[in-house]
Amino acid sequence: MKLSAVLAATASVVAILTSIAPSYADSLDDLYAAAKKEGQLTTIALPHDWCGYGAVIDGFKKKYPGITVNELNPDAGSGDEIQAIIANKGNTGPQAPDVIDVGLSFGPSAKDQKLIQPYKVATWDSIPDTAKDADGYWYGDYYGVMAFLVNDDLVKNPPKTWADLQKPEYANQVALSGDPRVSNQAIQSVYAAGLASGGKPGEDAGTKGLDFFSKLNKAGNFVPVIGKSAPLAQGTTPIVTNWDYNALAWRDGFAGNPKAEVIVPSDAVVAGVYVQAISAFAPHPNAAKLWMEYLYSDEGQIGWLAGYCHPIRFNDLAKNGKVPADLLAKLPPADLYAKAVFPTLDEQKAASDVITKQWDSVVGANVQ
Amino acid sequence: MKRGKFWSGKFWSWVVFVVGALYFIVPLLATIQFSLSIRRGTWSLDAYANVFQQPQFQQTFTYSLIIAVAAIIVGLLLVVPAAYFVRLRAPQLRPLIEFVTLLPLIIPPIILVFGYIRLYSSSSILPLTNTDIGTNILLTLAYVALALPYMYRAVDTGLRTIDVQTLTEAADILGANTLTILLRVIFPNIIVAALSGAFLTLAIVIGEFTIASLLNRPAFGVYMQNIGANRAYEPAALAVISFIITWAAMGMIQLLARFAPKTART
Amino acid sequence: MSLFAGLRWGDYLGVAPFLLFAVLFLIVPTLFLIVGAFQAPDGSFTLQNIIDLGTPQILSSFWISIRVSAASAIAGAVLGLILALAVIRGALPEAIRSAVMTFSGVASNFAGIPLAFAFIATLGRLGLVTVLLRTLVGFDMYRSGFNLLSFWGLTVTYCYFQIPLMILIIAPAIDGLKKEWSEAAQTLGASTFQFWRYIGLPVLWPNLLGTLSLLFANAFGAIATAYALTGSSLNIVPILLYAQIRGDVLNNPGLGAALALGMIVITAVANILYLVIRTRAERWLK
Repeated sequence: MKLSAVLAATASVVAILTSIAPSYADSLDDLYAAAKKEGQLTTIALPHDWCGYGAVIDGFKKKYPGITVNELNPDAGSGDEIQAIIANKGNTGPQAPDVIDVGLSFGPSAKDQKLIQPYKVATWDSIPDTAKDADGYWYGDYYGVMAFLVNDDLVKNPPKTWADLQKPEYANQVALSGDPRVSNQAIQSVYAAGLASGGKPGEDAGTKGLDFFSKLNKAGNFVPVIGKSAPLAQGTTPIVTNWDYNALAWRDGFAGNPKAEVIVPSDAVVAGVYVQAISAFAPHPNAAKLWMEYLYSDEGQIGWLAGYCHPIRFNDLAKNGKVPADLLAKLPPADLYAKAVFPTLDEQKAASDVITKQWDSVVGANVQ
Repeated sequence: MKRGKFWSGKFWSWVVFVVGALYFIVPLLATIQFSLSIRRGTWSLDAYANVFQQPQFQQTFTYSLIIAVAAIIVGLLLVVPAAYFVRLRAPQLRPLIEFVTLLPLIIPPIILVFGYIRLYSSSSILPLTNTDIGTNILLTLAYVALALPYMYRAVDTGLRTIDVQTLTEAADILGANTLTILLRVIFPNIIVAALSGAFLTLAIVIGEFTIASLLNRPAFGVYMQNIGANRAYEPAALAVISFIITWAAMGMIQLLARFAPKTART
Repeated sequence: MSLFAGLRWGDYLGVAPFLLFAVLFLIVPTLFLIVGAFQAPDGSFTLQNIIDLGTPQILSSFWISIRVSAASAIAGAVLGLILALAVIRGALPEAIRSAVMTFSGVASNFAGIPLAFAFIATLGRLGLVTVLLRTLVGFDMYRSGFNLLSFWGLTVTYCYFQIPLMILIIAPAIDGLKKEWSEAAQTLGASTFQFWRYIGLPVLWPNLLGTLSLLFANAFGAIATAYALTGSSLNIVPILLYAQIRGDVLNNPGLGAALALGMIVITAVANILYLVIRTRAERWLK
């Protein structure tokens, strides 16, 4: 072969390799300098009460002064976040989100739609493989398990398992924390009920979960109101199923009025993972990367733990003894978490399909 | 006999009013009662204190109020001439315009704001989102769009009630040009209708959340959402506060309207 | 002299700013939406979304939406008219009229979660009125079959913002019912009923229809209240729409856009109906 051809081939191979190689964690100081030059980080859909994001954001601001954090729409759902990226494609103004925190199933779809860019944080290797994209486009950040939040003032004998919910003493008391045709939390509640009823992971648990709620509705135990902390306190929805971290945060918010407790049902423990990603059109990519480095550092991960979320690197941190004992004490017992089932992407998709499409026909009291 | 009719008419008016008042006030009372129950076993204003203590309360409320006034003015400037000319000279445009004014009720605000961002972002011909002033203008126009159905319907009803044709001809004979006619003849006659539209715009702007949040503006609705999310008692307190404050603002608009040029009420 | 000079372009000059605004800030975003209705998740052109509108779940959601909107629009229009008449023509003190107008301004926008919660706190199972009736009068609403979380419960809740809207919009028209007319009618021996039947209502009729159409569209697009109140038991179109656009699980924005397109079409149909009826009613007025 001619030398020039070889050289050209080598050059192109090198070019290809460097172009597809995900950017490995840059040195933190360089990153900070570049981020400071950008001056701003735009986040979206991060309520301060969710996983203690308020404290996490404050921690980031304290550690890296000179970068303002611009928070968009804390009420946004995962779908909103994706739409925000799409709508802001040509926009470098402060309305364009840099980073997103979305449900597990949105990671791959965002990657397919070319909406996110790859980045592997310094602690990449300690993130479990099942919770990240091999190319670094999206990566799990925290998880929680499905639990009950119970208003102890109104419910004298709190349910301990999913099966308990069917008992007649809970008439007009059980509610979901969202619309099971829309909200991930609600769908996972149905899924967990299905697993508890003996369903196999995936579509089967979805179907059995629908049957469970259909029975619950016919028995008169199910209240179709969306369970939030206000209706729970007021008494319309004294038992709400939601992620443990939300339940714990709401319980704290009550400050004893009403007395509430968080119960992880022992017959099925379903874990839900959320993932982080950087927008492909982020106006401040370096600030975004710095934010990721912070979130996946020990400090950031513990910050989420303080908000009752299990950080994705929990096992790694526990192994190295980095988890403060007092934080552990505030969480529900660890043995329940040991039983946690992590639905795979395919299982989740199959179950969600069934639940969202058939909720109305199987469970829905077609309102009259 | 007339007295008998008069008595029975007034009696039924009072009955209707009292029943109506009950329907509207009782749910508010229930909300107030809940907002006062934040402390176990006793009434307390803690929920309200929590809300007021935040420093952004005043800033965001003032901001929203200013945007509301701007939206009202722009809305009136757009709607009154349009409704006037349609009624007077181009009635064939009426169905089209009425349909357009119903659009904001159907299109979810979130789609609207994403559309605006796409149209007026930094890479478009009219990069409104780049500057604060530009984004404020965008927000004001978004609210004008949201309030359009109500503003247009109110002004149109007002115009329908007065005899636009005769008034215009009379003023014209007296030598007024179109601008004078609009300002000094038509507008004073539809003050009541314009006020209705203004009230509705104000209420919409104060409570609006989605658009302000996605355009990243420090509006009152955004502040309320941040405070109230995931809390039990504060949202009820916020609803009450927002209700009372908006009512007071409208009361003030109505007071100011008394100083506007009055027309003889026939 | 000036009236007929600029007839051609002058007519449209007054409407121009409005139309320009409408195009830039309403029509174009709507066009984005309409284009989106024909897009598959990967961006290619497809009619699948429109075809998907024919599924039983979606069709029934449209039907429920139409029924809820119509019920609350009619209830709001009728009750609002009665209340407006009482306050404006009912010889009540002037202060009451001012208070009602400003209150209506606020109440017309009191929707969504705060409204749903207010009604849950009033008429829910543990609501203020429910408990009061049970303890004071011994009447248990829920045992008698009432349920706030139902079609009629939703209608009652929607009236909270429909009635004030009606009052605000119809007030100027009621003002326009000249006192001379009722005096003349009375002199000629007409009863109150006859006055309304032959003079009052016919004059108000076009305005009533217009407001009815507005109330319908208002209820049709309302989602937050229905969502917060009946959550997952009511299947109305905006909820489905939102599910596709902002859901937490895999969504199909194209379908959401198609749903919005469907809503626009229905609103257009309702509006055309109203226009037809109104044109026939107005024929004798001008």
